[in-house]
This record gives sequence, structure tokens and C-alpha cells, in this order.
Amino acid sequence: MMRRNTQSSCVHYPSQSVLSLRDIHRRFGHTIAVDGLTLEVRAGEVFGLLGPNGAGKSTTIAIATGLLAPDAGAVDLLGLGSPANPKVRMHLGLAPQEITLYAELTARENLRFFADLYGVSNARARVDDLLALVELDARATDRVATFSGGMKRRLNLAAALVHDPKLVLLDEPTAGVDPQSRNRILELVRRLASEGKTILYTTHYMEEAAKICDRVGIVDHGRMLDVGTVADLIARHGGQSAVTVERDGAEERILTADPVAEVARQFARANSDRERGEVGREVTGLRIERPDLETVFLSLTGRSLRE
Amino acid sequence: MRAIFAIARKDLRLLLRDKGDVFFTFVFPVVIAILFGFVFGGGSNSGSKLELAVVRESDSVLALGIEEDLANDAAFETTAFPTRDAAADAVRAGKVTAAVILPKSLDSGLEGLFSGQGIAIDAVVDPSRRAEAGLIQGKLNELAFRQFPKLFANGDEMKRAFSAARTSIASARGMSPTQKLLGAGMITAAESFTSSIGDEDASTNASGGGANGAAGNTADFTPIRVKVEELAPRAGRPRASFDVTFPQGIVWGLAGCFGAFASSLVTERARGTLDRLRLAPITAFHLISGKAIACLVAGLLVQALVFAVALTFFGSQIAQPAMLVVACFAAAFAFAGLAMALAAFCRTEAEANGAGRGAILILALIGGGTIPLFFMPPFLRTLSYGSPFRWAVAAIEGPFWRDTPVSEQVVPLVVLIAIGFLGWIIGARALWRPFAR
Repeated sequence: MMRRNTQSSCVHYPSQSVLSLRDIHRRFGHTIAVDGLTLEVRAGEVFGLLGPNGAGKSTTIAIATGLLAPDAGAVDLLGLGSPANPKVRMHLGLAPQEITLYAELTARENLRFFADLYGVSNARARVDDLLALVELDARATDRVATFSGGMKRRLNLAAALVHDPKLVLLDEPTAGVDPQSRNRILELVRRLASEGKTILYTTHYMEEAAKICDRVGIVDHGRMLDVGTVADLIARHGGQSAVTVERDGAEERILTADPVAEVARQFARANSDRERGEVGREVTGLRIERPDLETVFLSLTGRSLRE
Repeated sequence: MRAIFAIARKDLRLLLRDKGDVFFTFVFPVVIAILFGFVFGGGSNSGSKLELAVVRESDSVLALGIEEDLANDAAFETTAFPTRDAAADAVRAGKVTAAVILPKSLDSGLEGLFSGQGIAIDAVVDPSRRAEAGLIQGKLNELAFRQFPKLFANGDEMKRAFSAARTSIASARGMSPTQKLLGAGMITAAESFTSSIGDEDASTNASGGGANGAAGNTADFTPIRVKVEELAPRAGRPRASFDVTFPQGIVWGLAGCFGAFASSLVTERARGTLDRLRLAPITAFHLISGKAIACLVAGLLVQALVFAVALTFFGSQIAQPAMLVVACFAAAFAFAGLAMALAAFCRTEAEANGAGRGAILILALIGGGTIPLFFMPPFLRTLSYGSPFRWAVAAIEGPFWRDTPVSEQVVPLVVLIAIGFLGWIIGARALWRPFAR
């Protein structure tokens, strides 16, 4: 159930692995940050790394970009080798969780600086395009220090795209922004995906992962618990849907694999009761709870994603 | 190269947009130089007396009168000097603002006045004190005019003057016999007039008439000529206290750069922008070179600014321009290296700011950045060898006003370059580590 089936024509390398992490281990002192994690991000997909704070997502990102060397395991980018090599990491762009911009420079100056670092040709046009993409062209000459949190986040993302990388790593790109800005960022990610960019997206918001990711990896305590499409994960770990029926002031919770059929059955039962003249047996309320990624996480770890 | 220049341009922009850094890098050093210049005696003396050296070469009534009036004038504090050279030395050393020479020619008293030559007074000033020179010139004119009543009231002086005037008319080539006759007649009439009146009347009437009469003889006749001479600086001596304090200001400016760039490196690390730099296809060499260029340019800019102020407004002159450029580069290089080293030791921006400012203060205090070394006790002077401030001041003063032989400038230059290299190595090692993966 790939959400972006209709966009598959935009994906340049449909079966090619863009990023591969094999059995990665990394510890900081006595703390194990990443514990044998393996993942593969395929060309053109939005891969979500979903897990609570402290699960090891940012460490995984740092290793994937070559900023941090793993204690053990192998990283490969585009089949070119480790991103520790500057020529290899040219192909990736990172928007870190922190706003890593120069607050006293303008939006344009920030992007121009990074464009010059990457030796981008026709940098002026590229910077203008990016400012338009993240809807900051009207504020191009304003200092970043004067921007709202959402604007900074968008510029942070634009800085990751300045050299037109094949793989974009977005580490919690919506952390600390208002819902409106969050929607704009998610829309931006969708747009990048539709243009064929491969995206590794970390978040602890399951709604975001469900909304934009083609595949999701559930991470906890530095381990990859499972990987798949949202539907696959729910099918594997979500369990049954729950239909809660209110009748006669009481609630009845029914677990079922087919909630629609169950609802129909409940209404049929109510009609039958009415025909028999049984008073007070009518359905006064009905609620369906489908399993989601929260349920999946709960099932895999025994605790809630929000804890 | 594009990446290196991008880093340098970015760092300079960030420096110029931080008000605190701009103040400590560009404004503070100028303020320090001017303030200490005034403290150490180079001030304009506004509100206080101008110190004058007076050399009286004539014992005439006129010379004695001017000397006495100068001493009594509320605007001046006079000191008698035996010779012109001694007075000029005092001006060069900044001990006095100017020297007034009452020359031997004043012996002729009013003779010069009536013979059309006028009365000549010489003044010697420091070029850095041009503002005061105008005041002194005006005052000397006023005081010289003030002597005329005394001279006209003095019978002997008048007789000598009339006699000299009569001789002068008789020998004048440009006058016709008729003009000579008329002139001699006027002198005789004036002589009999002044001898017929009492001392008091003569004193009153001659005051204006003498000056006006003298001025009316010829259109360009100037009864009193105050010739002001600007002193050429003497090698090896500061011409004013500003010569000493501007190099101090410069090292404060370099220290400001040092603090700003040390802090900028730590900020890159603390705010995560260093990670973005590490992700870019650049090496530690690019980053270090970019930062080095920015720090050097800022250091050279501050030095250029301080020197511009010194040359434009304080009459400073550079003894050895080429060597001064070398010294400026060496000083900027040393402080840039120190910035790198400080950044290597600091983890947070607060640490860099605190340690940076603290280090600057201590090094400045012992290195002659605030109080010139020659005011310090011997043990502090010895301690100062450990401060880059001392070496920077020495390197800059040598070609600036000391006019030190080049061979003697080598040591401070070598020390500064060594400090710079050491700092760069320490800093580069710290920066290199994150790039080595």
C-alpha cells in the first residue's frame, strides 16, 4: 500500500539502495546509543525513523552522514562507500535537529555561504530558487535572528538542499514549531519527494510518519525493531480494531479484524431488538479505534511512544 | 579557494554585525589611544594652561616686556630655556606645547618698526599641536603690540628709533629726493612732538599712532611677524604621548579581534554550524585558512584605522612605513594564532568570552597595553616578556616612531610570528580532530 504509487515515475532509481547501514554499533561511555542497527533507504522513498527521544535516531543520522564514526558496522552511500569521504558525502544534505544557521546573516547570505562551500555553480539562481521553495523569498534580506521558529526550520532545510543532494536527511525537522509551520514543512517534504529526492526523516510524531513516509523503521534503545510500510507494520503488530458501542448507558468494547462488518452487525442487532419490542437496547453511540503506529510501538516495546 | 574566501567573508560579516565585537575591535582601541594620550600629557590643555618654553636671546625692553607678559598671561605656563635647541627638545619630547623665541633682533626695538622691517618673534611647535599653534601666534601678536606704549614712552628708545628711521630714509633707493625730504621732515616733527609731551601723554597717544603709522607707510608692512616653525620629528623619541599610546591602542584592537574570533570558533562548535562545515566537501585546512584570512584582515583593518586616526588628527608620522606594514602583519598573525589557541581550550561561548577577556586584561596589564613599560617597576618589565602585548607594541613602535634599526626589529617580529605559529598549531589540532573521521 505505497502511498506514492502515482508518483513512482518521478523516482529515478526505483530499486537502488541509496543508504545502507549494516549492524551499526555506537556507544558513548557506558551508554549504548546504537545497538546493531541495520537499515536500508531506497531511492526515491521517504523513509521514516520513528522512535521516542533518546532512541538513537540522531546518533544514527550522525553516523549515516559520516559526522560520527560507528564503533562497529558499515555505512554505504549510493554504493560509493562511507560518507566519511568528502566526495561521497557531497551527495547528502542534512538538516540537523538544531537550527545550524548564522543568526546574524540574512537568509540569502546563509544559503550563499553554503552554496560557496559546496562550489555550486550559478549559486545566485540556486539560492533564489531555494528561497522561493521554502517561501522565504520575501524575507531573503532579513537576518535569521528575526525569523520565527518555523521560518528558521524551513531555512535550515533549504541549507541542506543547496547543493542538490540525492539523499536528504531531516532530523526532527518539525521540532518546536507551531502546527501551521509544521504543515508547511510536511508539504515541503512531500514536494521534495515528488521531485525524486530520497529522504530519511526522523521523528517522534507518529502522525507525521504515517502521513509522509513510504516506509517506517521503529527504533528504540538503539535497535531497529521493525521496518515496513505503515500498513504492513499495523498489520503485523497493530492487532485488531476496537469497536466501542454505547447502549443503555453502558459501553461495550469489541475487538475485530473487520470493524465495518462489526458496526453493521451492531446496527442489525439493534433493529432486531426494536422489532422485538425490547426497550432501552438501542445504540446511542459508536466509536471505531483502528490500530496505528502508536499501537505498533506499544506492541513492540510494551510502552507508549509518548512516554 | 572559493570555500576559503566564503568562510573569511562570512566571519568578517559576523564580526561587523556584532556590536560588541565592533566596539572592542574598532572603537575601544581608538578611545584607549586617545584617552591614554591625554592622560600621559599629549592633551590639548583646553581648560588648563599651555606650557611654553621661552628663550630670550635679547635683553631689550621689548623682549623683557614680552617675556614678562607671557609669564603673567593666564593662558600660559612658561619655563625659561637657555637655548633654542633645548627648547626645541622640550617640544619634541612633549614636555611643552611650544617654544617662543625672543630673538636677538629685538635689540633694535622700534628701529625695526620704523625702518619697515617690523618686529620678529619665532615660535616652534609640535606638528601634532597645530590647534594650539594658532592660539600662540595670536597671543604673541597681542603681547607684542602691548609693548608699544612702553617703547614710545621710553625716550632713549624713541631717539634710537628716530635716528634709525632718518638713516633708513636717507639711504632708501626707491625714494625720490622730494620724498626723502618730506620723510625726514616728518621724522623731525614727530621727534619734536614726542619730546614736547609728558611721559604719560606720550604713552597714551603713541600706543595707537605708532602702530597705525607704521602700518600706513606701506600696504604690506607688518609691524609684528610671528614666525611659527613646525618641528621635524627627531628619531627615537616620541613627538607626543600619542606616539606611545596609539601602538597601545592597536594591540587593544588586535586583542578585540582575538576575543571575537576565539568566540566565533567556539560558537561554530556550540551552535552546530561546525557540523554543517564538516559535512561540506572542505577540509580542516579550508576552515582554518578561511578563519585565518578573516582574522588577519580584521587585524589589519583595525591597525589601519588606528593609524589613520593617529596620522590625521594627532600629527603622528611613520618613520619606516615598509617595516611598519611588516610589523602589522606579524602582530595580526600572532593575535590570530592566539585566537585559535584560545578556541581550542574553550568548550562554550561563555568560557571563550570569560577566558578571552580575562586573558586579554592580564596580558595587556603586564605587557604595557595600559601603562607604558617605562612607567613599570623592573620586575613587571621582566614579566612583560611573557606577554604578546609587549612584543606587538615593540614591533609596532620600532618602525612607527622609534626609528629603530631594522636589525633590532627582528627579535619582536620573530617572537610574534612564533607566537602566531604556536597558536595556529594548537588551534588547528583542535579543529582538525572533528574533521578526521
